[in-house]
Amino acid sequence: MKLFKVLTMLIATIILPHSALADVAFSGYGSIVAGKTFGRIDDPLNPGQKRDEILTADFYDVGQYDNDIKFTPESVFALQALVDLGHDLKFTAQLVAKGTDDFEPEFDWYYLTYQVNDSWSVMAGRRNIPMYYYSEFSEVGYAYPWMRPPSNLYWWQITQFNGFHANYDFELGDYSNNLTFFYGNENSYDNKEMLFYDELFGGNARSVDEFWSDILGFNWNITGDNFEVRFVYFQNDRDRTTTAQDGTETDSVPFDQQFLGFGGYVNFNQFSFLFDWNHVEYDDDVGTEYPTYLVSLVYNIGDFQPYITYSKADHERTKTAAATKDLEEHYILGYGVRYNFHPSAAFKIQFDKFEEQGEASTGWAYHGDSRTLTLGIDFIF
Amino acid sequence: MEKIHPLKSKPALFIGLLLACLFISNIAFAEIAVIVHPDNSASLDKKAIKKIFMGKKKKYDNGNVILPMNASKGAASRDSFNKLAIGRTTAQVNAYWSKLVFTGKGTMPRELTSDAEIIATVSANKDAISYVDASAVTDAVKVIATY
Repeated sequence: MKLFKVLTMLIATIILPHSALADVAFSGYGSIVAGKTFGRIDDPLNPGQKRDEILTADFYDVGQYDNDIKFTPESVFALQALVDLGHDLKFTAQLVAKGTDDFEPEFDWYYLTYQVNDSWSVMAGRRNIPMYYYSEFSEVGYAYPWMRPPSNLYWWQITQFNGFHANYDFELGDYSNNLTFFYGNENSYDNKEMLFYDELFGGNARSVDEFWSDILGFNWNITGDNFEVRFVYFQNDRDRTTTAQDGTETDSVPFDQQFLGFGGYVNFNQFSFLFDWNHVEYDDDVGTEYPTYLVSLVYNIGDFQPYITYSKADHERTKTAAATKDLEEHYILGYGVRYNFHPSAAFKIQFDKFEEQGEASTGWAYHGDSRTLTLGIDFIF
Repeated sequence: MEKIHPLKSKPALFIGLLLACLFISNIAFAEIAVIVHPDNSASLDKKAIKKIFMGKKKKYDNGNVILPMNASKGAASRDSFNKLAIGRTTAQVNAYWSKLVFTGKGTMPRELTSDAEIIATVSANKDAISYVDASAVTDAVKVIATY
């Protein structure tokens, strides 16, 4: 899939020198967030030892808060260039710099969009996988009320892929509909999150490569005056290769994954109710399932948006001799305020209570409880 | 757990204070006129206007591409239009658009700096649609709705 990147970048380099003729629009977003946890806990993976409370605010990039005030786990800056090539063809690229990567900019998104006709458009390139309701814009802090979409649901080691999207817009009664079909692959060499887990559980791997292939699925968005709902289904193959320090490679047993979700929001008077329900299933030998959901209530009053949110994640095995629900399990209860102090910027303050509910003896209760306060400013330009 | 307890009330207090500030804001909205070119004969009701400025209606019935234009960020007319025509605060509308813009699913309406510039632009472009403070309307444009 390096080829894919090379091809897309090649197209970009052919296009960009001519951009004097084309219409280029720059925009961007960013978040500056600082936070810390409070107190220390018994280390769930090292009984008898104490450690700082830790909140993983960004699983994919392993952005974690501890007792020291930190700016890096969630701060991000992104510059987007939209090149209108004319004749309904556009090229979009996003250069993203994250605190978790020492603010080294990377092209996280690059894709071509072709508007076929009034109803159909196609996109080809690198984008976020449309998994959870907030997945595609999970890093655009300005776009949602909270500091972040609840991180205990957005816990996957893969968030982006190279692929194709076909979008179909249509009206059904009074409702605007969008159907998006997508197909693609992601080969994540030296996956940051998986290597982190390897170390966390006492491993000594040099690298872990994660492969999600034949990602195939659809989104269906229905928007009315005061609500939006979204269905999502996709499936993909999962493979993993762990490379030891001596170069020995070990392949994990591959399996298929299915992702199902239903989310959206409803506005009534000054309140917004946001929700997302998801179910992930593996066709592995033990019948792994991950039921997750979030509910949130936001009160919109003037420039202020106080909110409360509850997100719950669970991990079960349904096919083992003793089917068990007592594996990884936790919830986050978060509350805070978004203050829209500027037309293009918002201040947020949020308190999160992470409650570990997994069974410690299984080794899956590795997060540990935490209390975290974060303050941040999200902006767009 | 004992250690955590005294610290827990700090953020709660912080947020409590912020909540206490919430009831101060109370904004009055000026009358807003939605305008098009005098030759633009498209029939657009308030529902259609809302859809246009939410990026959900992109073409007139005659097939021409609609060119919606916003007042500048921070303009009183933009706040009023968002509240009265779209039913959300400017911050909420911007948040909605930022989701579309940064996922490649929409382009935010172009911004013009003043009512005078809006009227000049709309009067020069048959497919443009925008809004101004009702008191700024001139004969150069056609008013299709007021709020």
